[in-house]
Amino acid sequence: MLLRRSDLPLSNDPAVRILPWVVGLMVYLATLILAVALLVSTLAADWSAGLTGTVTIHIAAIDDETDAELDRRVDEAIRIALKTPGIDSARAVPAEQVAALLVPWLGEEAPVAGLPLPRIVDVQLARDASPDIAGLKARLEAAVPGAGLDDHQLWRDRLVDFLFAIEIVAGVMVVLIGATTVTVVIFATRSGLAVHNEVIEVLHLIGARDEYVAHQFQSNALKLGLKGGIAGSAAGLLTLFAIRYTAANLDIELFPAFLFDVWQWPALISVPLVAALIVRISARYTVLRALRRMP
Amino acid sequence: MALSGALAHGFHTFRRSVRTRVLVTNATNNVVRFENVGMRYGAGPEVLRDVTFTLPSASFHFLTGPSGAGKSSLLRLMYLANRPSRGIVSLFGKDVSKIQRNALPELRRNIGVVFQNFRLLDHQSVFDNVALPLRVAGGKESQIRKHVSELLQWVGLEDSLDDRPSTLSGGEQQRVAIARAVIGRPRLLLADEPTGNVDDAIAVRLLYLFEELNRMGTSVVIATHNEALVSRFKHRQLHLDEGGIEYRQNGADC
Ligand SMILES: Nc1ncnc2c1ncn2[C@@H]1O[C@H](COP(=O)(O)OP(=O)(O)OP(=O)(O)O)[C@@H](O)[C@H]1O
Ligand SMILES: [Mg+2]
Repeated sequence: MLLRRSDLPLSNDPAVRILPWVVGLMVYLATLILAVALLVSTLAADWSAGLTGTVTIHIAAIDDETDAELDRRVDEAIRIALKTPGIDSARAVPAEQVAALLVPWLGEEAPVAGLPLPRIVDVQLARDASPDIAGLKARLEAAVPGAGLDDHQLWRDRLVDFLFAIEIVAGVMVVLIGATTVTVVIFATRSGLAVHNEVIEVLHLIGARDEYVAHQFQSNALKLGLKGGIAGSAAGLLTLFAIRYTAANLDIELFPAFLFDVWQWPALISVPLVAALIVRISARYTVLRALRRMP
Repeated sequence: MALSGALAHGFHTFRRSVRTRVLVTNATNNVVRFENVGMRYGAGPEVLRDVTFTLPSASFHFLTGPSGAGKSSLLRLMYLANRPSRGIVSLFGKDVSKIQRNALPELRRNIGVVFQNFRLLDHQSVFDNVALPLRVAGGKESQIRKHVSELLQWVGLEDSLDDRPSTLSGGEQQRVAIARAVIGRPRLLLADEPTGNVDDAIAVRLLYLFEELNRMGTSVVIATHNEALVSRFKHRQLHLDEGGIEYRQNGADC
């Protein structure tokens, strides 16, 4: 019962009046932080999915070697790779494609053709397989001079660590925001209890249960929490849309994950509801605790 | 007396319509019993000392004594706003120190109080103030509407239902406070200077109202300085002085 006639003039309390503003600000911040955390987790998932399936073999060109000799070494590397269980395919990347990869660094004019470019073999791992990459690396290095294997593991680990750190920080921030909100609600409620001590005593003497008094505080808090929370959430979502719009204008694939997954939208939208609920529970708990000390 | 007659009629309807009350009392007939009660506020001096008395059910007492003698304090003990610092206070046959906190509201609903300074809720209308005891007890809104309107009519405030208490005269506020105290048909009615703000004619009418309630079984205790009233209505007196108490017989009915 949200709209029950109130026996306490709570809406006039200065401390209670700031509640919607505080909750609004907190929900705004929490929405943005949660959006970043969701973005990062999607990004991390994308990255590991995109890279887990491949490893790269590179074979350095040796001085005074003919192309045919180099080709033979490449074929040998492919043969060794394909013999390894859990490997789907191994394909030499054409020399022109390797050269093309260098264009951004060296420029169009550079005499790429004359350079002793390494050969690259793109190895696809079978789905859900975990082939013995370290063994493959050892056999390649033993059998094929100048061959090396890069499974991107180190780079990927570092990226995932980094993204994970961001998620942790985001989580800690959300917890701090929640704690701040709870603290403000507790103080606003205590001040309300002090201001209305007289009326609360009368209610008690007339036969009101603590539950009855708590109800007045908690429904008021829920109302104010929802009011502030919905405003803060609206502002937060607007901000996200604005960032997304600007990012789209930049024409870069910086935010591929900005189209949140279906389950992530409800997570963002539920922030104000969860906040309002926390506000209500904090108010209720504060009141019941304080009333237990009254006669 | 029209007022008390109407009230009596109203209470008969009450008796029929309001849910049956849980009987709080047991074997004993005493509504209130004090045994060597002492009371102090915080670490202050004892304002009541060795107070011992009993109030049988359906009794009527004036509580008299000079200002500062502890009349209001004694009433506070009876309406459970304070606990004694020593001795035993029993209400409806129960030692209040042994009552669980969550059983207090039910007990308090059997006690109607007219506070010395009324303590009306000023952000609420006269109607809502009087309805409060029924609402906190979870009464039905349609029943509440009916009973409160009737009672306010009986105390002559039918034109002030929607007014704020602070816009009323002292005497009118007093009648609101009395209506709030009796709306739940308490078994014990405690009134602290209920005639302090009204002229003698209204004071006498209020006393008739309390007597009417008393005839229907409510025990009444009225703290007052009003000597004229005390000698006109010949009820027992509890006289407080220097923190102690004595019974005073007053007239033939004791
Ligand atoms: N809340 C309180 N805190 C501390 N002392 C109090 C409090 N209320 C009353 N007293 C003290 O208790 C004593 C008795 O006061 P009380 O109000 O019970 O007297 P009273 O008989 O009702 O007086 P009056 O006729 O003026 O209303 C007084 O000395 C008063 O100072
Ligand atoms: Mg007094």
